[in-house]
Amino acid sequence: MNRRDFLARSWVGLAALSPALSRIRLPSAAPWLLVPMDDAQADHLKAYGLAFRLLERGGRAEWFLNYRSGAFLLPADAATTRDAALNGITTERLEDGQLVQLRGELQGGNMDAVPLEKAPKVAVYAPPNAAPWDDAVTMALNYAGIGFEKVWDPEVLGAKLRTYDWLHLHHEDFTGQYSKFFLNYAGSPWLVDMVERNRATARQLGYPSVPAEKRAVAVAIADYVQRGGFLFAMCTATETLDLALAADRVDIAAAYADGTPMDSDASRRMHWDEALAFQHAELEQSPVVPVYSDIDGHQVNSPERRQQLGSFTLFNFSAKIDPVATMLVQNHRQVIPDFYGLTTSFTRKRLKPGVTVLADEPGAPWVKYIHGEHGQGTWTFFGGHDPEDPQHQIGDVPTDLSLHPHSPGYRLILNNVLFPAAKKKELKT
Amino acid sequence: MLVTAVAPHALRGQDPAMSRAFELERRGNYAAAAETYRGVLAGRPGDTAALLGLERALMPIDRRAEILPQVRAALAASPSSVPVLGVALRAWAAADEPDSIRAVAERWAAAVPGDETPYREWGAAALSRRDRPGAVAAYLRGREQLDRPDALAAELAQVALADGDYPRALKEWLLAIRRLPGYRVSAVSALSQAPDSVRSDLLRQLEQERGLNARRIEADLRARWGDPLGALNSLQAALPDERPAALEALRGLLDLLRVQPGREARVAQGRVLELMAERSPGSEHARFRLEAARAYTAAGERDAARRMLVGITDDRNAPETIAAGASTTLVQVLIGEGKLDEAARRLAEHRADMGGDEYAALRRRIVLGYIQAGDLARADSALGADSTIDGLALGGRIRLYRGDLAGAIERFKAAGPFAGDREEATERTALLALLQPIEADSLPALGHALLDLARTDTAAAVAGLDRVAAGLPPGQGGAEIRLLAGRLATAIGKPADAERLFKAAAVPEAPGTAPAAELALAELLIRQRRHAEAVAQLEHLILTYPSSALVPQARRRLDEARGAVPQT
Repeated sequence: MNRRDFLARSWVGLAALSPALSRIRLPSAAPWLLVPMDDAQADHLKAYGLAFRLLERGGRAEWFLNYRSGAFLLPADAATTRDAALNGITTERLEDGQLVQLRGELQGGNMDAVPLEKAPKVAVYAPPNAAPWDDAVTMALNYAGIGFEKVWDPEVLGAKLRTYDWLHLHHEDFTGQYSKFFLNYAGSPWLVDMVERNRATARQLGYPSVPAEKRAVAVAIADYVQRGGFLFAMCTATETLDLALAADRVDIAAAYADGTPMDSDASRRMHWDEALAFQHAELEQSPVVPVYSDIDGHQVNSPERRQQLGSFTLFNFSAKIDPVATMLVQNHRQVIPDFYGLTTSFTRKRLKPGVTVLADEPGAPWVKYIHGEHGQGTWTFFGGHDPEDPQHQIGDVPTDLSLHPHSPGYRLILNNVLFPAAKKKELKT
Repeated sequence: MLVTAVAPHALRGQDPAMSRAFELERRGNYAAAAETYRGVLAGRPGDTAALLGLERALMPIDRRAEILPQVRAALAASPSSVPVLGVALRAWAAADEPDSIRAVAERWAAAVPGDETPYREWGAAALSRRDRPGAVAAYLRGREQLDRPDALAAELAQVALADGDYPRALKEWLLAIRRLPGYRVSAVSALSQAPDSVRSDLLRQLEQERGLNARRIEADLRARWGDPLGALNSLQAALPDERPAALEALRGLLDLLRVQPGREARVAQGRVLELMAERSPGSEHARFRLEAARAYTAAGERDAARRMLVGITDDRNAPETIAAGASTTLVQVLIGEGKLDEAARRLAEHRADMGGDEYAALRRRIVLGYIQAGDLARADSALGADSTIDGLALGGRIRLYRGDLAGAIERFKAAGPFAGDREEATERTALLALLQPIEADSLPALGHALLDLARTDTAAAVAGLDRVAAGLPPGQGGAEIRLLAGRLATAIGKPADAERLFKAAAVPEAPGTAPAAELALAELLIRQRRHAEAVAQLEHLILTYPSSALVPQARRRLDEARGAVPQT
């Protein structure tokens, strides 16, 4: 920060302390850009990219929690102004005097200003081939213009995760059972490719089976979080990650995956203390039913147990006392239509004590969006596959986010990407 | 079903306790209703209405298993009552007591020999406990006891589907349909969801089966799986001699084909209608032939369409509406074949049979046919003094192709935005935008180039437009004509020409045209995978012309060029 910036910011800080001081005209300084995130915003999703790219350029931003649905304050430099114009992002010019008033408003309500200091280095866990389903986070990152790198099993087991601040998991099956599509989609080229690729990777990495190798990956991911990483998972990666972690010396994989049938007493023998979010789940024994356990409340692939979609409601948190949870739920909509995934939701009674529920379906026995800490890091789980495609089927075309620039579901994903930028300390990994 | 069937009957009862229980239930106070029913059952343990009421009241509050004491008492009071046995079976299912379920089901079956219901309920109870093997066992036990190989086939088919075992499901559906043909629709609907990998096996399995039912299922599945001609062949080979049965089978396939897209579906639709016509007398015969002709026309099978129409148009016994429809279709076929004089003659002959709008529309199609043939004099003559807005729009085109720009503009403006369909109106607006910056009243070279375009000689049109544009300043039509030429060059696969033309159109002297030319150029670059150049072009457009209506589209293309959204 140069001296002039420092003086200007000092003025702002002082003025915020006293309404009388706020009437004093500030020395002229570069105006600010307020990026509203309420209904005035033309493209909510790209607005996150605008803030992210500013951080990448070494700039600093602020996130005004609960102010205009989570607005951003950015310096109105040429690059940021150009970026906003090119991407059609609504911004409002803000003079220093207006900013002082605004800070006073933030002080008075359930709002807060969180500095965003550093663009997190983002990794997406994805196989090298293209799966026949879309990945909501990859699509959101691409659409918002947030750079990321792909990692897969060799990188995870090779300790490369330490170089990233944020890791995303999506439709991965960490129990090593190929999403339990093995029997129902037998012969499908994408499944054949998936099986061959996973088996070859397990062999190459020296594991006796895919389930054994995937559990090692799950343990490495949990270790990454333990050491201070930020983990965000969606869809079935949430449930299977915990199942794999808890399946220490327990065979939870069907015979087609590891050559031996699933332990008939697996549910009783799981080590839930090793899982991040869930406990005491009943595992699905049938290898044909693409359901893992009763962690998922909706059971979309079980015709007898499938639950209808409703909508979920975001919780309110105190911005000043609980800024992390507040950041994760910033949105211009409080109630959001639900969407299916192989794991759609999380049964309330299977949550570990201490898990923070960020969104649930009122009156239903499941929740949608949860958060927790593990060691020095945090994890966030969001059920469902694609917030703008409630019934996403295998082989469906990917969602075009330019048709959903205001998607409240996708906003939740992007809150997670930006949330590590608010962490002031460097990761101790 | 049994539960709801008994309730209204019971409502008529005079028992005050029962009336109170029903009222509590109606208000949604299920716990109090259950207590009241219990009170009635304490005095009359065999009261079926009260027992069913108690079951109904406990269900929404998820306390179904609490009915067991009353069920036991009712069984003791009425050991062979079918409603009581039904409640008992469901109660033990709720209590998860499979042995008791089985015992009640067997007892119920003994009370109603030959009835599938006890086994169906037994299976349903197993399914409610997610016990599919148990359900199959119950159904098979029923099949054995009833001594009918097709008993409970539909239920077994449903379980097979839940297991993903499509071949087994098909086998059971065939048994079910043999007994009750109405199951065919459900069977086809369920089996059509089969994954690609098992479809050929299912069709092979069906080919082994004889009879119309199997052929109809095969035809329906082939139609749903995108093989309409295969569907027709399957059905045609098995059509029975009896006219009503054959027509019913053909009508079923026709309903499916009507909603299938594509040329093959239209051909198959035409053939099905032809087969229906062969089996139908009098006016039905003519109507099916006419519909077949329309389907063939839609498929581009003009010979077949003409074959269907022969006889109907000149048949004095054919109903008036059908003859008129046939005349219209025949004129359409003739226009499609380029036999414009014959089409005009036929149209004149049958003018009296047609509505005014229909006649005018066909006449305009003939005019368009003459334009496409390059015969502007006959086009003008055929149009005559048509002063409708569609006629004015068409007259404007004829003037335009003759190079009379002032006359064309006058007629296009008079026609306004409502002539023709939306596409025609948009095209006319684009032509007006092209002509208005040009100061000259007459420009035969432009008219000639646009006539080349109307006659689908796009390469000649591009060359002609390029020459015309060279003689006009960019702001006075030169840029707009180059933009059109560039778009045409893109369409015929001449990207180098297109790029040159777009660049020449994207000049500051033509600020109304430049954003569109820049966007067109960027789209061309994206198609050529020159993404970095496309991004630069789009960024220039957005930042230079921020208020242009094309900016949102430019942003969309920018996203595509950056890989931020899927390519469209």
